[in-house]
Amino acid sequence: MRPVAVVAASAVSARGLGWRGLGQALRTGTSAATPCEALGGILAAQVPALPAAQDVEPRQRKLMSRGARLSCVAARQLFQEMPSLPREETGFFLGVGASGGAVEELEAMLEGSFSEAHFDVGRFGTAGLNACNPLFAFQLMNNYTLCHAAIREGLRGPNAAIFSRGAGTVLALAEARYAVASGECETALAGGADSALHPVTWAELRRDGYASVMPGEGAAVLALAPQGTGSSLAILERCEVHPRRQQIDLSLESARRSLIAFNPEVVVLAASSGRGGSAHEIAATVGTGAVLQASEFFGETLAASAALATVVALDLLQEGALRVGVLVAGPDESLGIVGLVREGTS
Amino acid sequence: MSRAVITGCGIVSALGLGTRAFWNALSEGRAAVGPIRHFDASKLPTRVAGEVPVLETNGTWLREALGGHLSEVAIEAWEQSGALRDRKIGFGWVAALEAWRQAGCGDDGQDTWLSMALGLEQAFLEDFGPLLRKEGGRPSIDWAAESGAPLPRVRFRSRIDLCAEGLTSMLRLGGPVIPHVSACAAGTLAVAHAASLIERGAATRVLCGASDSMVNPLGLGGMSRLGAPSPRAEPDACRPFDRRRDGLVIGEGAAMFVVESEERALARGALPLARILGWGSTQDAYRATAPLPDGAMAKRAMQQALKRAGLSARDIGYVNAHGTGTPLNDPAEARAIREVLGHVPVSSIKGAVGHLMAASGAVELAACLLPFQRDCLPGTAHHRERDPECDIDVIGERPREAHVDTVLSNSFGFGGQNATIILGRWS
Repeated sequence: MRPVAVVAASAVSARGLGWRGLGQALRTGTSAATPCEALGGILAAQVPALPAAQDVEPRQRKLMSRGARLSCVAARQLFQEMPSLPREETGFFLGVGASGGAVEELEAMLEGSFSEAHFDVGRFGTAGLNACNPLFAFQLMNNYTLCHAAIREGLRGPNAAIFSRGAGTVLALAEARYAVASGECETALAGGADSALHPVTWAELRRDGYASVMPGEGAAVLALAPQGTGSSLAILERCEVHPRRQQIDLSLESARRSLIAFNPEVVVLAASSGRGGSAHEIAATVGTGAVLQASEFFGETLAASAALATVVALDLLQEGALRVGVLVAGPDESLGIVGLVREGTS
Repeated sequence: MSRAVITGCGIVSALGLGTRAFWNALSEGRAAVGPIRHFDASKLPTRVAGEVPVLETNGTWLREALGGHLSEVAIEAWEQSGALRDRKIGFGWVAALEAWRQAGCGDDGQDTWLSMALGLEQAFLEDFGPLLRKEGGRPSIDWAAESGAPLPRVRFRSRIDLCAEGLTSMLRLGGPVIPHVSACAAGTLAVAHAASLIERGAATRVLCGASDSMVNPLGLGGMSRLGAPSPRAEPDACRPFDRRRDGLVIGEGAAMFVVESEERALARGALPLARILGWGSTQDAYRATAPLPDGAMAKRAMQQALKRAGLSARDIGYVNAHGTGTPLNDPAEARAIREVLGHVPVSSIKGAVGHLMAASGAVELAACLLPFQRDCLPGTAHHRERDPECDIDVIGERPREAHVDTVLSNSFGFGGQNATIILGRWS
């Protein structure tokens, strides 16, 4: 198996576009929270207006969920930063969130489907369906978070969309890493994209006990290639998931041991504050100097959280760190670990 | 390198519950698409489906179908949560339990991963009623009222990974859960991922497969708005590779497999059903709304699978095609098959059970075990008129007797995701 390097990266988050400088901003800054109209004015980490150079065409947006649009923006940014990246046989593995169609379309469909406060299948089949954009179904298909970006950038290699509420995106990173390490492809993109600002997603989070977290949105993508084939930003040394088990202590202990074995100087923590206590404890007991809390900075970005935390780790390596770990604990209570090291220090 | 074998298989489909019902029906050339029965679909644009013959996937049905494997307390909790309204949850459990038992896995799932393709969340449009308002002449949803609304715990939509969550608890699976959501390619990718984990030594046993149901108002209505289903509400609405084909039929169900290393299977006395020899995946990167017309990326997925398996085209004895019965898919796939594999028997079971969306690849992989079990190649229900645009050896409505050692299955997803997997006879 070939060692795998990160050769390029991109990010879109409440801090805007780009990943360089996120480490420093996270150390010193506060979250860029603003009131979210779609969620009744609560504070949320929303992505600011997207630059036209990366954003998708208005016509295409009708086909897209918010997560898909952010994924497209992150992928475009990656290729703008590194135009020499190949495309045709490049793999693409992405952690994606839940369905997320436009609420206005849903409202129009519902109005046409209810009769005196009762859902009427017959009305739905006629007035309800006809009231909404016929392309609404494409907004609901969450694999399109990957497909739209692949179509836009011409990525035709091996691929998979993996549902993620946190650690699932670490599995996507692991698959991309394996695809490159095993020679299945020479380059692979991997990351995650999601928005917790959709009202249904937010309602689910609250019901699951995450009412105190700040919802966020974003996307981050890493380009992976065999070590030594180009300019390397870091070596992707570790990608693993420690699943939620019947005895939760066993999962926590195996994740803690793995992180200790990796021996990071800094741990970037992507853990929802609502239930992330165990992950905080792990990060605090691995014997490292610093623990940086990414989720309070980016908000709870679900499928994007592991990827956003990983680009922060990448930035910390550019600033001088030698080994940076990422610990991911999403609402599914799985724990993910990503380990990046500066080339030459593995 | 460990070789991956399938040691257990479980199926829920329109042909009934269980592998025996499924293989018997395919061997006899039966089809099961018909009018939707579990809710009133008479005013929907699509009124037929490959519907699993279960009217309500409630606790009563689960008690019987799972044979006491899920505790009474757990069944009641799942029922009260409202999650059982999503049919694919129960279907996935029933198929997984059959596979688990068939493989003789016992009670110890601690070392087992779960790689499972799951369809989209089912939306429960009726739940929105208490929140619907009209403001300034336009409809709006009062989200602030959500927490006080008299609704079950699973409101608006089921979560995608609920089926997987139930399985990890029921079978005490201790490995990671990989929820694949690559649309119609997801089931094949989930099984391929399982085989990859075995080969690379990351896992010793993986429960894998898929479950899906879009036989509900939004599922059927949404697909109809895209123009994918056949406009004809007839049992033969889906006619793969037929000159008169005019669209797909939506199906529902699940297929699950136990995949493990050959050494481990043999060491514990399990009898493999098949070897997993190779797989490949590609992306069309063409259009969001249509497949690549020349099938070039489907072709590349098949070539990758052959390469990984170390096989040549002439080694393949049967192809289970994606074969949706849509005007665009079938010619592109036929061209890809012809260019890669030449004259090889091809069939699609979508005319018999419908298009199971995320679960289609897994259920079709279960059909690929039929040649190894009974020396029988499944037929293509409702394929009667040959189409010059689909110039391949399509097996007609009747299954074909044949002894083949290697079979290939294609799955192509909305959005352009392509996946191919190759199975070999275990002997």
